[in-house]
Amino acid sequence: MSKSSHFKQLYFCAWAGPFFISTFLVFWAFMGDFLPPLPGAAPIEEITAYFRDNTNTVRWGMAVSMTFCITYLVWALAISRIMDFCLGEVDSILSRIQTWGAAFTVVSIYLNCGMILGAAYRPEALDGTMLRLAYDLGWVFLDLGFFPTTLQMCAMGVAFLADPRQPKLIPKWLSWYGIWVGLMFFAVLLMPFFKSGPFDRAGLLNYWIEFGIWYIWCAVLSVYVLKAVKRLESESSPA
Amino acid sequence: MTAEVVQAINRRRLPGDEGVWFFIVADTMMFAVLFSVFIFSRNNAVELFEQGRMTLSVSVGFFNTLILLSSSALVALAVVAAREGSLRETQRYLQAGIAIGALFGVSKLYEYSDKVSAGYAINTNEFYMYYFALTGIHFFHYLAGMIILIVCLVKLKRLSGPDHAGYQVWLESAGCYWHMVDLLWIVLFPMIYLLQVTV
Repeated sequence: MSKSSHFKQLYFCAWAGPFFISTFLVFWAFMGDFLPPLPGAAPIEEITAYFRDNTNTVRWGMAVSMTFCITYLVWALAISRIMDFCLGEVDSILSRIQTWGAAFTVVSIYLNCGMILGAAYRPEALDGTMLRLAYDLGWVFLDLGFFPTTLQMCAMGVAFLADPRQPKLIPKWLSWYGIWVGLMFFAVLLMPFFKSGPFDRAGLLNYWIEFGIWYIWCAVLSVYVLKAVKRLESESSPA
Repeated sequence: MTAEVVQAINRRRLPGDEGVWFFIVADTMMFAVLFSVFIFSRNNAVELFEQGRMTLSVSVGFFNTLILLSSSALVALAVVAAREGSLRETQRYLQAGIAIGALFGVSKLYEYSDKVSAGYAINTNEFYMYYFALTGIHFFHYLAGMIILIVCLVKLKRLSGPDHAGYQVWLESAGCYWHMVDLLWIVLFPMIYLLQVTV
């Protein structure tokens, strides 16, 4: 493969990051009405109304989110390539962990959207407890599927920190920030025990802080990934 | 390593790797938010929190504080010894710091099992939610810190040659993290175990 087509593919993958971030925000967060989600203590009537009153919005939101969440994995492929450049290896173990971690993160999003979409398919035919179960399951899959994302973030942090370049392709602070965000996800383990308060799925820690810091990480990293690809391209081109 | 290099390392504004400081600051801020949430919730249910606090053992909490302070002091001495180039002293202090730090784990597990056998769980009431969650998240940080200190000890034993500037950065970073674990407990202990209702 020529260098130019290699970098074209790398740019394509790198741009999948901002695309994922935008579609996730619009279709999953806004159309899915997950800003924040309904708390565990939400009355059954509220959950029923969520599905029956916003059926088409939720259907569109979840269907488009399911379609495009794979772009998170495509973005991760660009990250893996940058990790390999940092480590000076081809197809390193760390970059594999990162890619697989991203793949399983996508599975969690699929399951979350699939559960919500399944309930939104015919909400008028399902009773409140079934709708609540689907909503709960969707959030259990998303929140408790955190560990592949933790592995992904830690693996890339370690690889970025090992970069011998000065300045590094990805700044040190961002690598540490990613590792911190990944480890912070462990607090989600408390989610199944609470239906309100900071550790609930809609609570201060397990929703606002966890999702907030992860989303900021995605946004900032996507900028640095594009910068890194540009720098690698200029380094590889003859002077 | 030349004397100039040692002096240059010691002149650094921040001990350890500056990236680790980003981690420490972010983590401390997260705990600050959790502490604020605890105080806010406590103000809304003072009696419940006071009843919960009365079930805790202040002496065990105080013992834990002493353990972490002692362990931190020993790790700080290990850092000083490493800066002075005395690897033998570094190893000794580090081993002592790890050994004393391990007592915190034993003491905390004893405390948790005591509470569980007394019928208290994370979802017993709001006080116990915060007690188990905050001390549990802190305990997770403690475990990570112990692993990092053990890695430092293993790396020290494998160290060969006079150039150990890289190792010093490692040890200083680990020491800073360990102090953070210590600092968080210094806030947690009075907040959960000592804070009483004022009439």
